[in-house]
Amino acid sequence: MLTSEVLRLAQPRWRAFAPGLIFGVLSAAAAVALLATSAWLITRAADEPPILFLSAAIVGVRAAALGRASFRYLERLQSHDAAFRGLADLRVSIYERLIPLAPDGLRGTRRGDLLARLVGDVDELQNLPLRVVQPLATSLIVAVAAVVGVSILLPAAGLALAVTLALAFALGTLVNARLAGRAERDLSPVRADFADGTLDVVSNLDVLVAFGAVDARLDHLRDTESRLTRAALGTASGTGAVAGVVSLLAGAATFCGLLFGVPALGVVTGVAGSAGAAAVAAAAGAGTFGAVFAGGAIDGPVLAMLALVPIAVFEVFGMVPLAVGAWRQVRVSAERVAQAVPTVVPPEIPADVPVQDLRVGAIASAIELRGLSARWPEARGDAFGGVSLSIRPGDRVLVTGPSGAGKTTLAHALVRFLDYGGEYTIGGVEARALPAEEVRRTVGLCEQQPYLFDANLRQNLLFARESATDHDLLNVLERVGLRDWALERGGLSAHVGERGALVSGGQAQRIALARALLAGFPVVIFDEPTANVDPDQADLLLADLLAVAGPRRSVVLISHADVPQALVTQTLRLA
Amino acid sequence: MKPVDRRLMHYAAAARAFFGVGAVLALAQVVCVVAFAWLVSSIVVSAIEGAPLTALAGSLAWLVVVVLVRSALAWLMEVNAARGATVVKSQLRREVLQALPRLGPSWLSTRNRAAVSTVVTSGLDALDTYFSKYLPQLILTVVVTPVVLVVLFFWDWESGLTVLLTLPLIPLFMVLIGWATQKAQTEQWQQLGRLSGAFLDVVEGLSTLKVFGREKRQTARIRAVTDEYRSATMKVLRMSFLSGFALELAASLAVALVAVSIGLRLVNGSLALGVGLFVLMLAPEAFLPLRQVGAQFHAAADGVAATDDVFEILDAAGRGAVGADYSATRATRATRATRATRATRATRVSVSDVSVRYADRVAVEHFSATFAGGALSVLAGPSGAGKSTLVAALLGFVEFDGSVQLGDRRGGGGESTPLRSMPLHREAIAWAGQRPGLLAGSIASNVSLGDVSPSAALVAEALRLAAAGDLAKDFVLGVNGTGLSGGQAQRVAVARAFYRHLSRGCPVVVLDEPSSALDRATEAALIAGVREVAERGAIVVVVSHRPAFRTAADQVVRMVAPVGIAEPIAAAAAAAAAAATAGAPLSAKVG
Repeated sequence: MLTSEVLRLAQPRWRAFAPGLIFGVLSAAAAVALLATSAWLITRAADEPPILFLSAAIVGVRAAALGRASFRYLERLQSHDAAFRGLADLRVSIYERLIPLAPDGLRGTRRGDLLARLVGDVDELQNLPLRVVQPLATSLIVAVAAVVGVSILLPAAGLALAVTLALAFALGTLVNARLAGRAERDLSPVRADFADGTLDVVSNLDVLVAFGAVDARLDHLRDTESRLTRAALGTASGTGAVAGVVSLLAGAATFCGLLFGVPALGVVTGVAGSAGAAAVAAAAGAGTFGAVFAGGAIDGPVLAMLALVPIAVFEVFGMVPLAVGAWRQVRVSAERVAQAVPTVVPPEIPADVPVQDLRVGAIASAIELRGLSARWPEARGDAFGGVSLSIRPGDRVLVTGPSGAGKTTLAHALVRFLDYGGEYTIGGVEARALPAEEVRRTVGLCEQQPYLFDANLRQNLLFARESATDHDLLNVLERVGLRDWALERGGLSAHVGERGALVSGGQAQRIALARALLAGFPVVIFDEPTANVDPDQADLLLADLLAVAGPRRSVVLISHADVPQALVTQTLRLA
Repeated sequence: MKPVDRRLMHYAAAARAFFGVGAVLALAQVVCVVAFAWLVSSIVVSAIEGAPLTALAGSLAWLVVVVLVRSALAWLMEVNAARGATVVKSQLRREVLQALPRLGPSWLSTRNRAAVSTVVTSGLDALDTYFSKYLPQLILTVVVTPVVLVVLFFWDWESGLTVLLTLPLIPLFMVLIGWATQKAQTEQWQQLGRLSGAFLDVVEGLSTLKVFGREKRQTARIRAVTDEYRSATMKVLRMSFLSGFALELAASLAVALVAVSIGLRLVNGSLALGVGLFVLMLAPEAFLPLRQVGAQFHAAADGVAATDDVFEILDAAGRGAVGADYSATRATRATRATRATRATRATRVSVSDVSVRYADRVAVEHFSATFAGGALSVLAGPSGAGKSTLVAALLGFVEFDGSVQLGDRRGGGGESTPLRSMPLHREAIAWAGQRPGLLAGSIASNVSLGDVSPSAALVAEALRLAAAGDLAKDFVLGVNGTGLSGGQAQRVAVARAFYRHLSRGCPVVVLDEPSSALDRATEAALIAGVREVAERGAIVVVVSHRPAFRTAADQVVRMVAPVGIAEPIAAAAAAAAAAATAGAPLSAKVG
């Protein structure tokens, strides 16, 4: 996935984004207007004009005060809402890109990294509209408007404001990049290292305790933590420098407003003032500059505005360098999100076939394999090859062979997690021509390590057949020998725990078995169903699941353990 | 929400230094603020009164100085905040890491591990905004606002009064709205944790979802969960931002009031322009820090909620709710025991009348057995009989009644030497659990886990005994041992136990289902290795249901499920019988 694509997903659509931006601009403009109008009002009032002359300014001051608060409130609500909506789109599109790759195309993704990416980086991406685009757009619009306004009053002051704002932008980002850029880039990988290390310790604390290795691991983790802290401290001075530079330029803008405004004031106050300004112009280059650009007449109230408007504009503009800093972090996160989702699907992963009307019926569940082979992504050679087999409805096929003979690879090829070489037909149709979903509706898999969701027993069963009632679920649990155990634990509402932590290996296998029964696949592959089940139960369990499968359903049983020959109709030995 | 959580100061001493430096900087800041307003207003007034630029040079120079000092202060304040956040986060992270061994594996098994990791990693980052945005403004509020108020009163008591009367509205709103939002904010943080778990859960269970054709439906679920998160957060934000709105409004209206009142008094001629401008510039400064505090209110709440989870862990560890400390350095007494066992020759483990009770059920009830040295004992029994729980009890991971004694013979003398028995310590056990529990790093580093100076020869020997001699010792695993197949990981875990036994002379070797993922040939090789270890004199206890292990055993000990727990065997048999008699209806129902 491309970084630009991730960023595009993180930025809410214009229609959602625009209201926040408009309110933001209005609020910032009101803040500048409040100070400008107040300054004009006060200085004008000092001339003691009739009160009527001031009433417009008085109304303006009050309107600006109300507007600043109200627009700000609306802006924040709108922009946050838009960002959250964008997050939903982003999560979903990342997930949708994972679907065709899972499970075998994602094998290289380390779990700790996955956690950091999907929780940390995706959340970080919310900052793109909120902390990058919105403040940048708002302050640029307001800054340009202020520069135009000041230029109309006094071109030289306008130019000075433009120059200081541009410098603030350039220097603020440049200094930031110099001081903190490297440290910030260092921060993300160290943070991921620390997250990985923490997850390792938290997940395997029992092992570390049993082997007396807790302290060594924690020491190592503390080292990583120290690196993380050092990298974070490196970024600290960068953020500070940005604030310092912005504050300095804000002061410079006010200073320039006075420097150019005071001589220009002389033009209107009289001949003496004019002469004074001319004297200064002769003395100082800046004065010349001011006199040349001043061009016209300003009065006292305008001078007060020239001195005070930069203060308000810089308050608004202060968010720009911070937005640039936020942008760098957002970009790093976007890059890592992009990395987590490979752009090119490995050739070993089946390409998606569009869903057609074609349905594989009950009679069409006969499977033919001719010279079948398959391999894992990035593997050097085929995990198995030359497999030929006919599976008719009601067949019981035993697949045996030592570890590494390709038994699980075969199972994954049959459910189209992996692509295959040779022929594989279902009801006479080449499986490659069928949508993978359609294949999996016919051929079901009971995985070796069944995944149990962090939910209750009911939710862990129900997704296999959503129409099932509690009665159905308890029946199935009874068939796999878990009914009493489930009732003991509090029935279907009993929590199975994070990744099945509250369930033993044998029980997890039984829950998975129950799911396969509920889903009612015409062909079921059991990948080592008895691996974690007691031997005296194992035979009964096999007999049970083969009996439950019924006469019309075919079963492919992958097992390295002995299976009574009476139970199977054919045996495939992989070497 | 309290302005500053007391526990933060308690657990993170670095927070105190941050507040100290922050107060000094704030004091300098307020001097700059007043000086800047004074200089600008006096320059404007002098210019209007006709003073040329040359006459104002002195004031302008002072203005430059003030601007320079002010920018240096702005820089230092940011640095102080960023350093404070970093150091405090570091301290809290370290405290949590320190707390983990005190809490132990049994405490962790009741938690979502991903959530615990998130708390220490990305969860604490909420403190960044807390420190950089909220706390500095809080300090400024305490220092700057009173000083500015005093100055305002001194120059123009009417404006001072306006500001003084408006100011209390802000904390009032904060308290009122804070009360209203507190519950919602706590809920939101919990929901965030649940949500991060939910999204990961879906991604990790993706292959299972694909098998059942449910992967596409999860899109809607993710959308729904995220949307739920959005609406929950927006509910909080509407309230939080409302407080921001109130603050902004109070501040802007106060400035407007001051400006208009000054204007009217200037028209009357009852006030000097210089004072008017000075007061106008200073009045917003009285509100600025407080406005920032209000604006960052939700950031602060996030920070406090994030620390809540950390403090919960730290408080649990501090209470000592869990008896033992699992850190090795604290176990000096146990280390002495290890030395004792090494010097002597342990000959048996006696388990007498051991019971393990969890809050809701009994896992092991009155179990007694003796495991002899130099022999392979296999512990068998149906699932749920408490085999793994017994192993956890041997390792001291769960509390139990009864006793587990290690019997040994001093100096390895003959039969005449009297048996001495001592409680079995974890340090005397080399263990491989049901879950391989491998860590990031090379296979060799996994095998020699816990050994500061690993021996390559022993690693090779241990791998050979575990039928894993074919694995490359320098192959590097990912987090949680990813990169190996189930069977390979299992054998590496067994090799790790053997290594510990060989290198430290742990007399007891406990293997929990070591061959569940192995084929028969590999299993046979593993059994040969296990027998070799046993025949050299170790007390070997293997939990296994595999016939091959039972055949190879010198002793098979059966465990039965405590009364009240139905044996799954019976249920499966009943179901099989039912299926045999009523086969057709059952399959019809499933099909």
